[in-house]
This record gives sequence, structure tokens and C-alpha cells, in this order.
Amino acid sequence: MAARRLGASSWQQVVLLSRRCCLPGGRRERYRCSSSNTALGKTVENSEVTQEEIVLPRRKIWDKLAVLQTLASTVNRDPTAAHYMFQDDPFLMPRNAANSRLFSLSKESGRNAAKYIIKQFPQYFDKTFAEPNIPCLMPETLTPQIEGLSEEALKERIHLRRVKDSVDLFDQLVQAGTPVSLETTNSLLDLLCFYGDGESTPEKEDLEEPGVNASEQEAPKREFQRGSQPSGSRWRENNNAERIFKIMPERNAHSYCTMIRGMVKHGASAKAYDMYIGLLNERHKADVHTFNALITAVPYLKERFLERWELAKVFLNHMAQQEVQPNLLTFNALLKTLRRCGGVGRNMALLVIKEMEALDIEPSLATYDHLLFIFYRGADLCPSGIISEVLGDVGKRSFTPQDPDDANFFATAMQVCCDLKDIKLAYRLNKAMEKGDNWKFLDMDRLNAYWSKFFSLLCMMEQIDVVLKWYKEMSSSLFYPTPKNILDLLQALDAANHLEVIPSVWEDMKQLGFNRRQDLLEELLSLMSRERHPDEIQLAFAKCAEEIKAVHEQTRREQSLLEWTGSTLGHVALLFSRAGRTQEAWNMMERFQQISRIPTDQVMDEFLNCAKKTNCPDEAIKLVKLAASLGLPSSQRLKNRTEKEFELSEKQKKTLESIKSDSDSSDSDSDSDSDRD
Amino acid sequence: MWSRVRGWGGAVGGSCRLAARLLAGPASGREAAGVARLEGRTHSKIQKLFSTSSVLSTEKDESTASKDSTTEVASKSTAETPKQKLLDIIGNMKVEVSYRKKLQQLKTREIKKQATNKLEGPDGKGSILQKTAEDTQRGKPLSPELVEAASAVASFLPLNKKQTESELIAQLRRHEETTDKQKKGGTINIRNVISEMAIKRQSPAQRGVRISNRISLELDEDGQRIKPERLSPQSFDSRRSLKVGRRLNIFTKASTETENALKTVSSPTIWDLEFAKEIAAITAQPPRNGFEEMIQWTKEGILWEFPIDNEAGMEDDAEFHEHIFLEKHLEDFPKQGPIRHFMELVICGLSKNPYLSVKQKIEHIEWFQKYFEEKKELLQEI
Repeated sequence: MAARRLGASSWQQVVLLSRRCCLPGGRRERYRCSSSNTALGKTVENSEVTQEEIVLPRRKIWDKLAVLQTLASTVNRDPTAAHYMFQDDPFLMPRNAANSRLFSLSKESGRNAAKYIIKQFPQYFDKTFAEPNIPCLMPETLTPQIEGLSEEALKERIHLRRVKDSVDLFDQLVQAGTPVSLETTNSLLDLLCFYGDGESTPEKEDLEEPGVNASEQEAPKREFQRGSQPSGSRWRENNNAERIFKIMPERNAHSYCTMIRGMVKHGASAKAYDMYIGLLNERHKADVHTFNALITAVPYLKERFLERWELAKVFLNHMAQQEVQPNLLTFNALLKTLRRCGGVGRNMALLVIKEMEALDIEPSLATYDHLLFIFYRGADLCPSGIISEVLGDVGKRSFTPQDPDDANFFATAMQVCCDLKDIKLAYRLNKAMEKGDNWKFLDMDRLNAYWSKFFSLLCMMEQIDVVLKWYKEMSSSLFYPTPKNILDLLQALDAANHLEVIPSVWEDMKQLGFNRRQDLLEELLSLMSRERHPDEIQLAFAKCAEEIKAVHEQTRREQSLLEWTGSTLGHVALLFSRAGRTQEAWNMMERFQQISRIPTDQVMDEFLNCAKKTNCPDEAIKLVKLAASLGLPSSQRLKNRTEKEFELSEKQKKTLESIKSDSDSSDSDSDSDSDRD
Repeated sequence: MWSRVRGWGGAVGGSCRLAARLLAGPASGREAAGVARLEGRTHSKIQKLFSTSSVLSTEKDESTASKDSTTEVASKSTAETPKQKLLDIIGNMKVEVSYRKKLQQLKTREIKKQATNKLEGPDGKGSILQKTAEDTQRGKPLSPELVEAASAVASFLPLNKKQTESELIAQLRRHEETTDKQKKGGTINIRNVISEMAIKRQSPAQRGVRISNRISLELDEDGQRIKPERLSPQSFDSRRSLKVGRRLNIFTKASTETENALKTVSSPTIWDLEFAKEIAAITAQPPRNGFEEMIQWTKEGILWEFPIDNEAGMEDDAEFHEHIFLEKHLEDFPKQGPIRHFMELVICGLSKNPYLSVKQKIEHIEWFQKYFEEKKELLQEI
């Protein structure tokens, strides 16, 4: 109802717009000015020139998404905001990579929990409130409707993916002497082989649902593809699939093929090979998917690189003999196997690519990914010829997903650019990534990896202005910098002598939750305190130092205390001294004694300068005392300076004199106490 | 790689070949057991073989000695080469092992242990080889049998018996040490051995003498693995390109007919369905803005479709503007006044009512017209 109303009002809008189109020429200018209405402007012009009435077509059918897609294309990424998915609750705006991962995961798991409840308790969701009904919000029927012993019932259970029920029913049918058709048995085998004889749990299915956010579900899957042996449910000896396969009265090629695919999927490669031999003995032909599976299994079948390649070639020749046309996935599987063939892989990969070309099979991103891995893995890097060509090819096309490995390409390629330290290649890659829908191949984790590599490369190779521009654009709206990125940025700032930007980097560090990272703090402080800067910068630095000090002093229950180190303490004291904040600087100096560290001469001198500038002879005397109590060699020099440079009262002179005699620290401590009073 | 193996194989003769067999064998467990069994049965034969081989090596020694004319140096060099040999063998064996899965490694060790246990008793000399070659018998001091065997070997060498013997024993000790280390350190140590081996690989490569095919097969792998990585970066890859080069020439391009024939397959299996899902999941991205979210909802069927086509409601042969713009039906009403106002409200309501047909709407308006017409006089009185 509401939607209909909406519809009606939008009709009016449409008509309003069309009326505007027919406005007389006099008011045309106004429309031309508003840039968004260029299309309308055009029609107006037309109407003026031809003086014809616009004839609306009686029937014009648009895609139901056309308007939304047009509107969506007008919205650009806001570089100051987090991802859209976080925007419904400002409290849950992620500040760093860990948070963003956590929040997106919780959002998705909330969704999954709701789905689970609906699936688990369909009886509570029997009211259809929506008119018309919205099927995707209603529970699916997951309980078998057909009762009794029949092939129909078995088919239904197979369709509902009830592994155990199907097997039980099949056994009952066989025991009762009812023949089960080959087709049904085959689909039962499909089910068993796909799930590796384990139950298809609803969670597992959810993981494979396309609508779910890609980032979290890919992780386990990738692992299984990358790992040396597929993990997950393993193929067990004499499981139901094998048992049913054995008792089948007749088997066709499909039965063999599905068994082979199941065995490869669940890590029983040797068995799969035996099964393939069995298939050949029965004079059946395997299908292309089976060959693809067998080719992926090659690294598990043979140890030696050359033998692996030979075996893969055997499979390919069998394909040719059995007149099975290879597809893209065949060659991707072949290249994936070559990834694990060392030097042989390098020699053969290009032949494979040429073969694809000869067969008019367009490579997918996974093809290029394997190629890059083969040529650019390890310490010894090939020249950039191959990747340059790959980027040339990739840049020309917008890709659609065809292979589960497609998603790896951009991250791998950026890694290669990073290894080659070639910023031009990286820009080219980035351009290719932004082309069309290619950006969709980067899920959240890969996105972070990609951009953080890119950013590190930028820091290394680019002008600081360019780096900062990218940083502003990308940081926290596109990806969350890693500590390594911040370190790179600091080094880039240092190299370009742009240290005045450091306070803003510190702000970002706080945002990102890196304010307790010792390595970053150390780097930040040492850069800030290395040289003297103009006063306002020095003041900004002192503010950072104050915050860093606060970080060191705050004790939260869940966090361990951040320990002062000698250098950080020195840097902070130095920064306070340079900004003329004598009292705070002195507080820092006192801390040296508490943690029994030695301040450097530079720190001592700077503090004395500061005391002089702010005219605090007391502090100067305290410093001399401190130096004496720590037994520093510079204490005498400091004392001399104090005597010379400060106007001291009689009492102060006396105290200063007395310091020399007592080199004992406890004594001077009590002295300084009395002094303070 | 195996040219080197050939090298020392030729230099010392049969004994080395035997050693190599023994050594290369255990790495692939099954073979080790096989050799062990074989030796268990015919150890006397092996002993014979071994002794002749030592003679061979002695001869070789003498020849070198005569060449070098200094006995001291010669004996040292001969003692040195076996040491080198053994080290190399160990190294090679480690590479073999490192390729395998840990499990298999463990298994091999077990088998090795059994093999050595079998060997240990009957044949002293066999056990030397076994001992030096393999990492069993860990932790124990050198057994007297071994020492005895070592001295026996030394006695075959005519020159400087004492020195040879002590060097042999020292070598044995060293292996014991590496064994212990590896036992503790696991894979890291194996890696060390490999790196060590990589350095030693170079020197013997020049010596070109024959060796049995078996060993060459065993060691082929290493050569394959190491060489291309060493050589390729400069020599091959600079002229590698995606554009030029040969193809595999395995497949022929299918004619369109066969392709079409292939496409007509039966209903999708669970494999196809799940693969499609997996592929779709790759590019599944969370919506980036409100419009994209609405797109997603539209696809899921949660949101009503935007009625952006002008065909909605065309079934009863009326277009949408007839539904909405009803002012033209008010011509017969007064141009102003409360009735006009009332009627405008009526058509406003009607234009938003999707449940009535155009005809019904017009009828509705006409009803009011008639009504007001009837009441006209009454109204005018007021």
C-alpha cells in the first residue's frame, strides 16, 4: 500500500519533470545553469529548434533498478566518513582496522542470527504481514513433505540437502528391494561428495551465500585453497559415498566424475587418481570439471616438480583424446599447479598462456594472479616485463568473476609492485582496479592489504605533497593505516623535512589506537625533538608531548602500564623545555631518577636554557642537584653555567655551593625536598 | 647435480655406489626397508662387496699417492674425500626428507630405526654405513663395534692407519652430533644442512664420471629445483613475454558445433550451484550508499520496485496520466467557491487511489456532479 502511494507520487514527479521540459524557451537559461539537468536542457533546446511536441512513447520499459543505479552512480565516496555500513550508529563508527572488522562482523553475524532463528523456529513466523508477501523474509520449508519409502521422498531429501536422511532412506530402499534409478543415485552421490559425507549444516551454507558480506566468509575458504592440503571435512575411508558407489548396480561416467571431484575436494587425491584409473578402465569419459579437479590434485600426487608437470600434461592429453574441451578453469587449475612446480612452472607458464590464447579463452584475474605468483615469488625478482604486460592486459578490460581465485589478483599485484619498488606500475594497477566493477574484487581484508602496501610504496617513492594528498583521501574512509604505514609516513615526512605535520599525524595515531605503540612513539618523539623548530611548531610539539605523557600515566584496568624508556622521557622533557614549559619539563626530569635512567647532556642543556629563558633559577639549581645525584660528568659544567648565567640570591648561591660536597644521592634528595618547601 | 655424485662415485668405486644406494634409499622409507631386508638376508655378500670396494679405493689411493709423491698429503686427501662424501650424502638425504610432510618424515625415521636395528647385529661394516648415513642411534656413545669397524676400514688403507682410523671415528662423532642437534632442533636444522649443502654443491660438479641411474633419479629433483631459480632471473626472463613464444599444442580449437553440443547438458548439479554461489561471493560487496542498499533490497524482493515505466496500469487501457490528472473532469463544476474546493479535494484523493479504475473515478466525479446538480436550488437558497 505504502509503496503504491509512493508510486503515485512519483508519477506526479515524473509528470512535473516532463512539464518542465516543455517550458517555453524564455526560461531555458535557468535550467541550463543547473548542471545536473543537462539532459533536460537538451530536450528544451530541441523543442525550441523543431517546435515539435514531444511524443511520449506509449510503452517504455526500464529495468527495475535503472533509476536506483543512476542515482547510486551520482554518490561518491566521502573521504571524511567511514563506510556506509557503519553509518546507522555514530557510536559504532570504527576507528581502526580491528574495530571495523569487528563491527562489520557483528553486523553480519546479527543478520545471520536472525536468519538462524527464522530457520530454526519457522512455526513462529507463519503470519504474512506484507502485502504482497516478501518471500525472502519468510522461513523456507526445510522439512521434507513427502513421507514413506519411495524414490520421490529420496529425491526431495536430496534436494533439501539432508545428507543423513537421504543416506538412511537410500539404505531402506535398497533393503526393501526397491530399485533406485541411476539418476537419483548419482544426485545422492553428488550430495555426499560435495559435503564430504558430513551434514550440510546451516552455518556452512550461510557461509556460501552470496549476499553475505564477502570479507568474513572468504577467509576460511582461502585458507583451504592455499593450504598444502585442503582442510575442513576430510574424506574418510569407506564413507557412505564410497559404500554407495560400490553397491551401485551400474555406474556411469557421472558417478565416477562426482566421486573424483569429491575426493579431490576433501583431500583424498591419491584415491581420486585411482578412481580416475577406474573410470578409464570402464571406458568412460571424464568431464571437464573432473579434469580440472584432477589437475588441481597434481601437487599432492607427485613430489617432484618435473613429475608434477608431466602428470598434469598426461591429464591434458587425456582431455584432448577424450575430446573434452578445456575451459578457463582448466588453465587456471594448471597454472595453480605450476605455482607449486618451481622453475618448471616458470618455464611452462607462458606456454600455457599461449595455449589459452590459441583456444580463444580469455584469461581471468586468477590467471594473471597465478602468473604473477609464478614469476615474482621469492627474493630473486624477475624484471618488470611480465607484470607490465599483465597490467596492460588487465587495464583494457573490466572483469567479471569467473574463478574463486580471481579475488587475489589485485593484492598480489600490489605486492609485486611493492617488491619491485615501482610506483608507476602501482599507479597503473590502481587505475585498472578503479576501472568498471574491478574494485569489487577487493573484500575488506584484501582492501586493507592492498591500500596499505600501496601507501607504503607511495611513502617510499613519492613527493611528500602527493603522499599527503593520498593519505587524506584514503585514510580511514577507504582503509585503516597499519602501524607500519604510519611509520612509513613519519619517515617520508622526515625525508621531505615536513616535520610540522607531525601533530596531525599524532591525532590520527590516537584515532587509530596506535597511541600505545612503543615503536611509533619512539619514532614520533625522536623526530619531534631532533632539531629546534620555530616557536609555534615547538608549542604544537609540546602539546603532543603532553598527550604522550598522559598516555604513559593513565592506568586503565584492562591495559598494562606503558613504561617510560630513557629516550622517550628525554624527548618529552626536551620538547617541554623548548616550549618553555619549565615546570612540566622539571617533572619529567624528576622521573629520570624514579626509573633510574640517565638523561643525555642535550636534555640537561636544553632544560637549563629553558630555565634561563623563563628565569627560574630554582629549577636550574634543582637540575644541578639532579645531575650531581645521578653522578653525571656534566654536573660540574652545569653548575658553572648556573653560576654564570643566572642571577642567584645568596641563599640560592649557598645551596648551589653545597651541592658540590654531597655527591651522595640520598642527601641531595632530602636537600631538594627542603628546597621545595 | 648428479654429475658430482658421479664424480665421487667413480673416484672411490663400488663402495660409494653401495653407500649411495644405502643412503639414498632410506630417505624414501619403503626402499630403506627393502634394502635392509635384502641386507639382512645376504649380508655376507655385501660384506664381500664392501671389502672389494675398499680394495678399489686403496688402489686409487696408491695412484694418487704416487702422483703426489708425498704420502702424508695423499693419505690426508683420501681421508678428506670420504668425509666430504659422507657430509654430502647426509646433506642430500636431508633435502629429500625436507620435501616430505612431517608425518612421512617421522614414518621414515621409524623405518630407518628398524632397518638399522636389523643391520646392527650381524654386520659391523654395514652398520658403519648405516650409522654414518642415518640419524639413528641417537644419544649413545659410539659403539665399540663401530670403532672396531672403523679401524678395520682403516687397515685396508695402507697409509697412515692411525690417522685414517681417528679421522673416521671423528667423522662418526660429528654425525652423532648433527643427529642430536637435528633431533632437538627439528626442521631448522634440516634447513641448515640444506644451506650447507648448497655451498658444497659447487665444487664436485666438474667431476664427470658415471653413476647408476638410480641415484641420478633420486637426486634429479634437486637439480631441477635449484638450477632454474639460479639461472633464470637474468638469462631467461628478460626476454620472456606474454606475446611471443610457443604454445603447448595439446588442444585444438573446438568448432562451434561441438561447443553448442556441449552446452546442452542436463540440470545443474549441486556442484554447479555451489560454484555459482562461490563465484558470486567474490564480488559481493556491502552497499556503499543508500541507493545501493535500495538496489540490494530490490533484488532481494524486500523493496517494491520503482514504478518507473509508464506501462503500469495499462491493462485497463488507461494511462497513468488519466489516473492522476482529473482536473479536466471538473469543467462542469463552478469555477470557484466551496463546491469547487470540495471537488478539488475529491480529485486529489482519487488521483492517489490505486484501487479504482479510471472509469470508476470518472463515475465517482459524475456522481457528485449529479448530486450537486440536484441540490443546486437548495444550495443557491443558502
